[in-house]
Amino acid sequence: MTQTHIEPTVRSRIIELSVNGERHEIAVKPRNTLVEVLREKIGLTGTKEGCEQGACGVCTVLLDGRPVLSCLTLAIECDGRSVLTVEGLAHGDQLSPIQQAFLDQGAVQCGYCTAGMLMSATALLERNPKPSLPEIKKALEGNICRCTGYNAIVAAVQQASGQGVEPVMR
Amino acid sequence: MTELSYVGKSLRRKDGPDKVTGRAVYSEDIKLPGTLIGRILRSPHPHARIVRIDSAKALSLPGVKAVITVEDTKGIKHGFVETPRYPPDQEVLARGRVVYVGEEIAAVAAVDQVTAQKALDLIEVEYEQLPAVFDPFEAMQPGAPQIHPTNPKIASEVPYSNVGGRTATGWGDVEGGFAQADYVREDRFESHLRTHGYLEPHATIAHWENDRLNVWTSSMGTFIKRAKLARTLDLPYSAVRVHKAYVGGTFGGKIDLYSHEYCAARLSMITRRPVRIVASREEIFSAYRHGQPLAMELKTGVKRDGTIVAQQIRVINNSGGYRGSGVVVIFLGWGFTMIPYRIPNLKYEGLSVYTNYPVRAPQRGHGCPQIRFAIESQLDAIAEHLGIDPVTIRLRNAREPGEALPNGGNVHEAGLIDCIKVAAEKSNIRERYGQGRRGSGTIRRGIGMGVSGYFGGSLIYPNGSGVIVKMNDDGTATVLTGGIDVGQGSETIICQIVAEELALDLDDVKIVSSDTDSTPQDIGAWISGMTYVTGNAARQAAGNVRRKMLDLVSTRFNVDVEKLMVQDKVVFNRGNPSQRMTYREIIAHSVATNRGDTILGEGYWRTMRDEPNHPSLATTKGRWSENYAFSCQVAEVEVDIETGEARLVKALTVHDCGFPVNPALVKGQIDGQVSMALGHAFLEEVITKDGYTLNPTWLDYRMPTIHEMAASEDADVITEQYVVGQPFRTKEVGEGLVSGILAAIANAIYDATAVRLTSTPFTPEKILRGIRKLERERRTN
Repeated sequence: MTQTHIEPTVRSRIIELSVNGERHEIAVKPRNTLVEVLREKIGLTGTKEGCEQGACGVCTVLLDGRPVLSCLTLAIECDGRSVLTVEGLAHGDQLSPIQQAFLDQGAVQCGYCTAGMLMSATALLERNPKPSLPEIKKALEGNICRCTGYNAIVAAVQQASGQGVEPVMR
Repeated sequence: MTELSYVGKSLRRKDGPDKVTGRAVYSEDIKLPGTLIGRILRSPHPHARIVRIDSAKALSLPGVKAVITVEDTKGIKHGFVETPRYPPDQEVLARGRVVYVGEEIAAVAAVDQVTAQKALDLIEVEYEQLPAVFDPFEAMQPGAPQIHPTNPKIASEVPYSNVGGRTATGWGDVEGGFAQADYVREDRFESHLRTHGYLEPHATIAHWENDRLNVWTSSMGTFIKRAKLARTLDLPYSAVRVHKAYVGGTFGGKIDLYSHEYCAARLSMITRRPVRIVASREEIFSAYRHGQPLAMELKTGVKRDGTIVAQQIRVINNSGGYRGSGVVVIFLGWGFTMIPYRIPNLKYEGLSVYTNYPVRAPQRGHGCPQIRFAIESQLDAIAEHLGIDPVTIRLRNAREPGEALPNGGNVHEAGLIDCIKVAAEKSNIRERYGQGRRGSGTIRRGIGMGVSGYFGGSLIYPNGSGVIVKMNDDGTATVLTGGIDVGQGSETIICQIVAEELALDLDDVKIVSSDTDSTPQDIGAWISGMTYVTGNAARQAAGNVRRKMLDLVSTRFNVDVEKLMVQDKVVFNRGNPSQRMTYREIIAHSVATNRGDTILGEGYWRTMRDEPNHPSLATTKGRWSENYAFSCQVAEVEVDIETGEARLVKALTVHDCGFPVNPALVKGQIDGQVSMALGHAFLEEVITKDGYTLNPTWLDYRMPTIHEMAASEDADVITEQYVVGQPFRTKEVGEGLVSGILAAIANAIYDATAVRLTSTPFTPEKILRGIRKLERERRTN
């Protein structure tokens, strides 16, 4: 038996993807999701997988600036588009204000929701620099956190948007 | 407390930068060349005999590298506890019979996910279905389908079927106590099936290479995983290395050995390639271990002033298809009953009953939320009957500092009374309770109180923690600890303790953790003892380094150690500061003059050093812990009396935490537990029918989202202190604070609506049913 692959008729396609400002040419199968491609082919494991059903939000990345669930986004849909992941938030050693605020407010415990939360929060602050509490909740409603109860996460968004919340950790 | 620089400060997490930049490596992030994907074949039936398994077709599918069943194992059993009374009872793959939907029958390793899934479909299994039983009270009846024979040691004590565990204990004379009581009340409470909901799925990658097994797995303790893996694989412990990986939440659901961990390892040993197995979320909801649903029958007798005279409790656990931790939760049912209040006469019985469900695991609080919900609800009902307010009745019964516990332990510096007083004052509950019910309009507000106690560290394998602090010759320190950070911040607080002992900045203390090869053994992050046990081991290790350095300087300048001061990585003579050595100089001096001593400090700790063993799970004889935390929590809820929907608006947590090593991390634990409690109360339920899980997704198992966030206020009652160079007793804060809030929510709902709920979750249907029943009663009166 010379057959070595289970799907002889489904061929990969080459797509072009800009991830965190870097251009990649990747061979993907039609069924590959964006999160699989980011983690397995490009090697950026900061974006996590929690449920493969789009219900938890840990896989959130920004696609052309909009938060999407990368576990439900097909890689071939992203041909020619740009993706921002958690690895792209800092500039060298300089953390973004929201990353720094997560550290200052104790908004990180196990860290598994953190990447997705940061991406949703980043997109929020990009379009709404001073969000109200209901606006913060609306923007993060698709990101589940089991550790923090969300209190410190809300405080972090408020700190990052300069709304009078001081760091509680130093 | 003397002025401290690091302990007691809200310092930023050591692992924070890794986590906010995506650098933190979790088990699923490990990439090894040639990795195969593993998947598990699971039983579709709740109870069935396996007549025949044939994996020939699966094995011949191109891309499939190995298929295993129980015949490919050494047949060595494991269990959550392993004692003479409760020996290991579960094999890693089913042998001859399956006892729950989802039980592991076979495993495959293939070149990719799709091939592995197709291979599972090609494994032929012939089942003969057997009658199944799902309710523990039915399972106990003679003639019920037998899942396992009742434990022979228990069969002589009780006439029930399917009993996997029994705890029976007590003191005094309960019948006499009830006879003397002015008021006796009996109630039945039920808690439901809910689950941990950790965001990181179970993930394991195992690589057998050069006669050694390298494993990365999401866990609560690398040493217990190593022990159980090694034993079931029949390998020496030294042949198994469980590596450090970040962990994405656990809450009790990642302690025991899981079949997929064994299978990844065994498949790797057969294929000689790394094998990765990651559970799907659907698998986790439907086949992995959830928390324990308890039925609690509670009878309490009190004097007219509310003082408890006698209490009789029976707890029945719906244990699932194997013993699991069910035999522990029925022991803890007693423990969590007896810590906070004085109970002169007690009779306790706990039964852990087999049912055709997946095995259960501890879930944050391990019985405490259920027990305190029952006891605190009943206590409020008793108080109302006697015309006493909820604060007063609790103050009357609360244990005082230094009180001896009936099992030979002592509550030591118990701050419960202060917790209740502070909670009462801050919440103003005495003025506010009873008001909600009199409201008009559709939204009623209620306020309720709940008291709890929790233990910090007990004896269960591996029983003790070791820590090594090694100085680097530039004067910085590296800590080696087996202690695992599952999100609670253990790496940070261990570094804070070392930093305090050595007067080093936190940046000058690096930590290597939870690697079974390179770090000392540790009790793990599942016995509420990390800060107390591992923390003291770290303190001792750093203290030994400090003493060595001081001795060197003392000898060098011929100055008494007491005259020396430590500051900014310099040791100097207080009376003559020109006599000074930097850490760098001290270490160089040590290497030069002390046979090359590079300055290492070792430390180790265990709880109850004079107690040889853990207490008896059967009789509770023996001391349980030497460290008890206490709390009083107040919940404010809103109930819509038209829809029955209720929500937690605000939680106040006043806790005797000893002293906080890192106040912000403590607050984080409290906030998370408030969230879990409100999920337990209002939102979460694993819904099953005939052993099948009907809602195996986060869309249907509703955990709190940001919209359900409650305001969370906390206040510390300080009862211990940290002194450099001395052992400390600070108290747990990661598990015991779910219970008081859950109990307080139940009492707050009653306050808002006069509906006394005796089962969780507190659904709109139950609340509406209660409201309508009260309306009918009012109309007929």
